[in-house]
Amino acid sequence: MITNLINLIILLFAPFLVIGVIKKTKAFWAGRKGVSIWQPLWDFVRLMKKDCVISNTTTWIFRLAPLVIFATTLVAGLFVPMINGQPVINMEGGFILFAYILGFGKFFALISAMDTGSSFEGMGASREACFTTIVEPAFFIIMASLIALTGNYTFQSLSMILEKAGVMGILITLLAVLALVVMLLTECCRVPVDDPTTHLELTMIHEVMILDNSGQDLGLITWAAGIKMVILESLIAALLIPMHLIGFWYSALCYVAALFVIAVFVGTLESCIARLRMSHVFEFIFAMSSFALIILSLTAIRIYGN
Amino acid sequence: MEIFYYALLTPIIGGAMSLFFSEKRKLKVVSFFAFISMILCLMTAVNVFASGESLVAVPNIFNGMFGAIKFVVDPLSAFFISFISVMSFLGCVYANGYMKPYMEKGMNVSSHCLFLSMLISSMLGVVTIQNVMFFLITWEIMSLSSFFLVIFEDNKKEVLNAGIKYLIYMHVSVIFIILAFVLLTLKSGSYDFNSFKEILSQNAQFANLVFMLAFVGFGIKAGFVPFHNWLPEAHPAAPSHVSAVMSGVMIKTGIYGILRILSLIVIPTAGISYFVLIISVITALYGILYAITQRDLKRLLAYSSIENIGIIGIGMGVGMLGLAHHSMPVAVLGFGGCILHILNHSIFKELMFFAAGSVYNKTHTRNIEVLGGLLKSMPKTALLCLIGSIAICGLPPFNGFISEFLIYFGMLKGALTGNLGMLVLMILSLAGLALVGTMAILCFTKLYSITFLGMARSEHAEHVKEDVVSSMIFPMICLAVMTLLIGIFPQFVFELVTKPVSLFTGAIETPAIVGLLQTISFTAFGLLAFILALAILRKLANKKAASHCTWGCGYDKGNNHIQYTASSYASPFLSMLTPLFKKVFDIKKPKELFPKDAHFCLHIEDVEEAYIIKPFIKDIEKFFTVFERIQNGNIQQYILYGLIFLILALIALVFLG
Repeated sequence: MITNLINLIILLFAPFLVIGVIKKTKAFWAGRKGVSIWQPLWDFVRLMKKDCVISNTTTWIFRLAPLVIFATTLVAGLFVPMINGQPVINMEGGFILFAYILGFGKFFALISAMDTGSSFEGMGASREACFTTIVEPAFFIIMASLIALTGNYTFQSLSMILEKAGVMGILITLLAVLALVVMLLTECCRVPVDDPTTHLELTMIHEVMILDNSGQDLGLITWAAGIKMVILESLIAALLIPMHLIGFWYSALCYVAALFVIAVFVGTLESCIARLRMSHVFEFIFAMSSFALIILSLTAIRIYGN
Repeated sequence: MEIFYYALLTPIIGGAMSLFFSEKRKLKVVSFFAFISMILCLMTAVNVFASGESLVAVPNIFNGMFGAIKFVVDPLSAFFISFISVMSFLGCVYANGYMKPYMEKGMNVSSHCLFLSMLISSMLGVVTIQNVMFFLITWEIMSLSSFFLVIFEDNKKEVLNAGIKYLIYMHVSVIFIILAFVLLTLKSGSYDFNSFKEILSQNAQFANLVFMLAFVGFGIKAGFVPFHNWLPEAHPAAPSHVSAVMSGVMIKTGIYGILRILSLIVIPTAGISYFVLIISVITALYGILYAITQRDLKRLLAYSSIENIGIIGIGMGVGMLGLAHHSMPVAVLGFGGCILHILNHSIFKELMFFAAGSVYNKTHTRNIEVLGGLLKSMPKTALLCLIGSIAICGLPPFNGFISEFLIYFGMLKGALTGNLGMLVLMILSLAGLALVGTMAILCFTKLYSITFLGMARSEHAEHVKEDVVSSMIFPMICLAVMTLLIGIFPQFVFELVTKPVSLFTGAIETPAIVGLLQTISFTAFGLLAFILALAILRKLANKKAASHCTWGCGYDKGNNHIQYTASSYASPFLSMLTPLFKKVFDIKKPKELFPKDAHFCLHIEDVEEAYIIKPFIKDIEKFFTVFERIQNGNIQQYILYGLIFLILALIALVFLG
């Protein structure tokens, strides 16, 4: 119960820090001093105090979407293993519900972008929808393979591979981590798929979809985007750390450290490489599918190899 | 059982009665009788579900050389009659509003009413009759009456063409069904379905052959790829309530046929189960892929029906594999998902077709590229269509998710049954289903946002002033409520579904699955409550919201032409898959110094139609031109044929006699 409460608090408030750490890292590599890591939180608070401007083309869908996006992201977060490797809602086949709840939010994000009648936002929406079609099947293959390896139908199967699959488990874990990093960069719209710092270039995806949102609506959407980041980082953390074996304190420590390290990694990555050209982004995301297929074949070899 | 006889006959009586009423009242009469039939069907179904025993009745009529006509309402049939009757009734109610403009134009609806009621009765008959001959007769009545419904606007050439295409497909389908049944009756010597059970369980190869024939025959009706081509033609041609009933209910009788044959086979072989699963995954992917390419509202929905038939087939395939590998949990989940998705699809597909019909009713166009901004003028239709769109994408908290979840979970269990082929195939189909899900999101966000959101793209959409009449809204509300109820309380619906499933798997233990569904129910409820709470909180915060035009990067004279279109929305995705389409360009480039008219039109053709069906038909035509020489319309020549025949006959007489 207490673990769940702590997990919930982390889920709600870690996003600001994670984004802050990424920004700090980028500033560090650029030789700048950078803003405080608390800045995203202050930005959020400021947004929540603001009034908003709404396009007169839009309808109630546009006002409803931020609420749905936030609610779905948070509820999806309840299915993700965090400290102790335990999700708040631990359910067999939980990853399916997790993915589909996020899909519900995405549906609203897409139609809300289209609601403005802006060609920019249409562009963002069509790309976002397109990328999802590549990411999701690969994610399902990975999760199903891990479930087949560990025999555990819940999300906890992530942290059991090292324990259950031996040497092959290390290889599979590495591949899964790589695939999930690609997924994180795509879903959270980071370089090289998307650049969160600029709005108005024709290659933008997520930022351009929320071009017309302002005030509290924008605040909720950025919060939700941060939570999504924490969710995907938690999945990677769960892969790397056998959380359920090492006890509460160690797993809490490892988990927080993992969040921090992954954020630093993302920041470093963004400082090192440039955004890919749109036509190459597809190829980048397809890497995730190939990782997924390799994981599937390794799983088959591991189970039926002898 | 008497109740069911009445249920079966009331629609037809209604159709006959409607002939004696004035044009305006005809559809009301049909709806009234459909309502009575619905109540009676539901009573029968409740009776069967509650007692757990099937009703069998053999009325002593037509008791000739083909054996007696035999009605059996087992749980599977009870499931089918309950949703067939409900969906048909809603279709009839919707027709009241939808047909008004046609009646005002002076079109005659009496034959339409008659065929509509015949379709309802024959569908109820198809899923309950268990005698080969009478089954085929009812099946044929169903096909023919729906054919006449499709060609309601028979003054339009494309409608007639679509109707004839449908008719041809249905008769190719019936050939295969007859073949399957002829094989069965020859072996068993009886026309009764029950007598087939024994011979099918004895000889696996024979069972496979029969199943394949039945799968092709019923699969044409259901719309499995590669037999799907009639769907995208017939659905746009038919009036919307007819397409709704056809897509929501009638194509499911094809699935019923396959399930019925399967229930007689008892344990299918692994090979044929793999076949069903693979062809279903292909069907689902093919359907949704072409749905994304469509601009015609109803063609898009027709392709989406193909997709959903694929999902239903995936469930069936998973269930069959569970049976073949003696893994009951997999079989229960597979068949459970399959049967629940039959119900779910009929609910949200009817809802979507009704919404499409309402849009057509007000804008007189089915091309979504010229629509837009309809949410403001048609708020109720827009809200209901949104619910339908979310449900059809299989997203929680609506009903589509529940059946897909069951199938997914069945696949996960199937992957762990301890068989390499199962592991790989199940996980790949799982990915296939996930891909179908995300593509559905792309497809239906496109449909919804281009039709209802943004600014009106043409006069068609601009001139709409009011929403459709309440007789068209009411059925949609019923359907929307059903999608939500099944989505929020899946555990109860699953209990219901287990009854028909037990026909395939034997007694079922469900607590584990019901537990999962309870978690889903809890989550769905929590999600909705959370969104509501957030909305209330934002209301309480009471921030001002100023109104301004859409941000156009400093350029504030954006108009409806700069909006994204359906084609451009789908283009990044479709550009990845260009080899899978046949693109037909119609380009007129601007020329000269002051170019006047120029246009660009891209038409995407169905690959199967372009590369297989059309060349095939051409070859057939070529073959038959040979006979043109013989039958050329020249009377003298025909007389010559007669003369030659007579001479030959004489010669034969002389020499042989």
